[in-house]
Amino acid sequence: MPRLSDSMEEGTVLAWMKAVGDEVAVGDELVEIETDKANMVYESDVAGTLVEILAEEGATLPIGSVIARVGDPSEATAGDGNGGPPRTEAEPEAPAEAPAEDAAGGAGGEEGVTDEAAAAPRRSGERIKASPIARRVAADRGLDLAGLTGSGPGGRIIKADVERAGEAAPAQAAEPAAPAPAAAAERPETARGSIETVELTRLQQTVSRRMAESKATAPHFYLTTEIDMSRAVEARARIKAAASEGDVVPSVNDMVVKACAIALREFPRANGSYRDGHVEEHSRVNVGIAVAARDALVVPTVFDADEKGLRQIAAESRGLAERVREGTITPPELSGGTFTVSNLGMFGITSFSAVINPPQAAILAVGSIEDVPVVRDGEIVPGRRMAVNLACDHRILYGADGARFLARVRDLLEEPVFLAL
Amino acid sequence: MATMRMREALNEALREEMERDESVFLMGEDIAVFEGAFKVTQGLMDQFGERRVRDTPISENTIVGTGVGAAMAGLRPVVELMTVNFSLLAFDQIINHAAAIPYMFNGQVRVPLVIRMPGGGGHQLGPTHSHSFEAMFLQIPGILVACPSTAADGKGLLKTAIRDDNPVIFVEHETLYGIRGEVPEDDHVVEFGSAAVRREGSDVTIVGILKMAHEAERAAETLAAEHGVEAEVIDPRTLRPLDLDTILDSVRKTNRAVIVEEGWPHGGVGANLAALIQEQAFDHLDAPIQRVTGADVPMPYSKRLEQSAIPHPEHIVSAVLETTSGALP
Repeated sequence: MPRLSDSMEEGTVLAWMKAVGDEVAVGDELVEIETDKANMVYESDVAGTLVEILAEEGATLPIGSVIARVGDPSEATAGDGNGGPPRTEAEPEAPAEAPAEDAAGGAGGEEGVTDEAAAAPRRSGERIKASPIARRVAADRGLDLAGLTGSGPGGRIIKADVERAGEAAPAQAAEPAAPAPAAAAERPETARGSIETVELTRLQQTVSRRMAESKATAPHFYLTTEIDMSRAVEARARIKAAASEGDVVPSVNDMVVKACAIALREFPRANGSYRDGHVEEHSRVNVGIAVAARDALVVPTVFDADEKGLRQIAAESRGLAERVREGTITPPELSGGTFTVSNLGMFGITSFSAVINPPQAAILAVGSIEDVPVVRDGEIVPGRRMAVNLACDHRILYGADGARFLARVRDLLEEPVFLAL
Repeated sequence: MATMRMREALNEALREEMERDESVFLMGEDIAVFEGAFKVTQGLMDQFGERRVRDTPISENTIVGTGVGAAMAGLRPVVELMTVNFSLLAFDQIINHAAAIPYMFNGQVRVPLVIRMPGGGGHQLGPTHSHSFEAMFLQIPGILVACPSTAADGKGLLKTAIRDDNPVIFVEHETLYGIRGEVPEDDHVVEFGSAAVRREGSDVTIVGILKMAHEAERAAETLAAEHGVEAEVIDPRTLRPLDLDTILDSVRKTNRAVIVEEGWPHGGVGANLAALIQEQAFDHLDAPIQRVTGADVPMPYSKRLEQSAIPHPEHIVSAVLETTSGALP
């Protein structure tokens, strides 16, 4: 299962475009795969004969799983040797000739049932031994077999184990983890009325998982400041006035993106990621822009935003937003971001805080520009202010780092001429 | 309701069917004058005469072949082979002819033949007289296989076998001829393909055939008394047709199955039934299906060795406890 997007952890095989026995050349369309972000056609990077398909259409497998083998057809039956899906091994059964053996032992009596049931802790990734009905009952009740101790022979989880676990945790049983439409239909009316279960799309599942993961693992802290946007708004008005028919006029958000990109180049930590106990600083500054799509949230990327002019950023972000709405956005356009800008100003939201898009260091939440009275030189004068909130991952950015970065973004937007440098 | 032995019940079935239908006649070694090695045909020659109760030479393939021809010609022969082991001499007639002819002639010719044969161990008759070949006959399409374990079923199944238009292998167990049981009077018929639930239970399904149906019941009593396990005991009564529904319903209730037979383990009745159960009730199983079978050896002659080669209730108890391990307090 190839990694077709940055955040992809598993993929679903939608359709095989080659059959077993077909010749495959490098670049041939081999298989269509649904990732957490889009449906992708995967082109073969090797040539040979499609010897074996291991993942049927509809199968969902983690990245790195063997989904097919391309090679020399004469090797068709050779073992794959490198971590295909685990093959289930038949368990040793009691010998069919048990009576004979018992009896031949002389006793002819009852053989004590060996008690290997003593619960040994399972290692992670180890196949869970459970009887078929135990699996079915667990699925019906939304119980995770991994958490159960098997009392059957060899530690096998049997129905009684699942039923005991179900009694111990009835609350869990109320919310089946697996989609169970039949069970939903039988659910009685509650004080909250009847329940309609809405299944999440794959993309929504990804968003939920990553957001929950971010909040649970990245220690967020928040910095808020107000930016005087009077010059920026003025500058934008002048650009608009000077634009000829068909020219793209940068939005305030494009200016925010550009300001962030410049600041990110100057503060490599803010452009970093936290991965496996260390910080990775990235050479490219790629700013993601959170875009609300229908029933989903995606973050297309403006690559090398620090090196691009405002007009180019504006043109790219329009195109990306368009493709998100059309559903034609591709995983590469949704990957590789090193920082994210989320703007809810168009809804009249004055300020908010956002959830970091992992493994990035920070996300900037941008509110609307408000006409407010400000005090300048002891006098109350009309001002145009925009509240911004920077959420930082404290493992990468400390308070002062985040503050310096945010101050730099503010200074750039307050003197927008710097955005043109 | 009269209490009688299995041999008397079988005798009554033959008598009643011969009285009812003139086309029914008997053939076999020592069945007429000597009244059969196990006395199943006692008194029948006197009642029906030598024409309808015929002694034959020691020539199994010919006896069965004559039966096939007579059946094709419209009679309803009941052939006795002295033991199941001797049926091997008649495999050509049984498989190549009796079973195949209705198919070969597209049903235009039927073979309403019953081949009775006693089998099983326990009487120290050695490897040439004591085997259990139910599985072999079960494998042959075109042949029905009946395995009565009680006197009532012996009578009811034999009457059905005689009236059926298909060739029927009717397996009798040598140690069950003397077993007593209540047999309904008049025309008592037991349908093929209808299993009997001998004992109801919720913890494990034990399927036993012939003598093993009784051993299963004994094991169930021990399990209830000593282990708190309530076993459901099912006797399929006919292996083809098989009442799989009754067995599957029981397994869906108990989630466990143990199959007991006296025959050999490989490719046995239990092997076949275990495959059917896991194919059709996989999601209901809580433990691997256990088989209790005869030993994987030709039947020994020595009394101790012979007893060692045959399943006993304690083996069934062990197998059941294997399936319930960890599941019950």
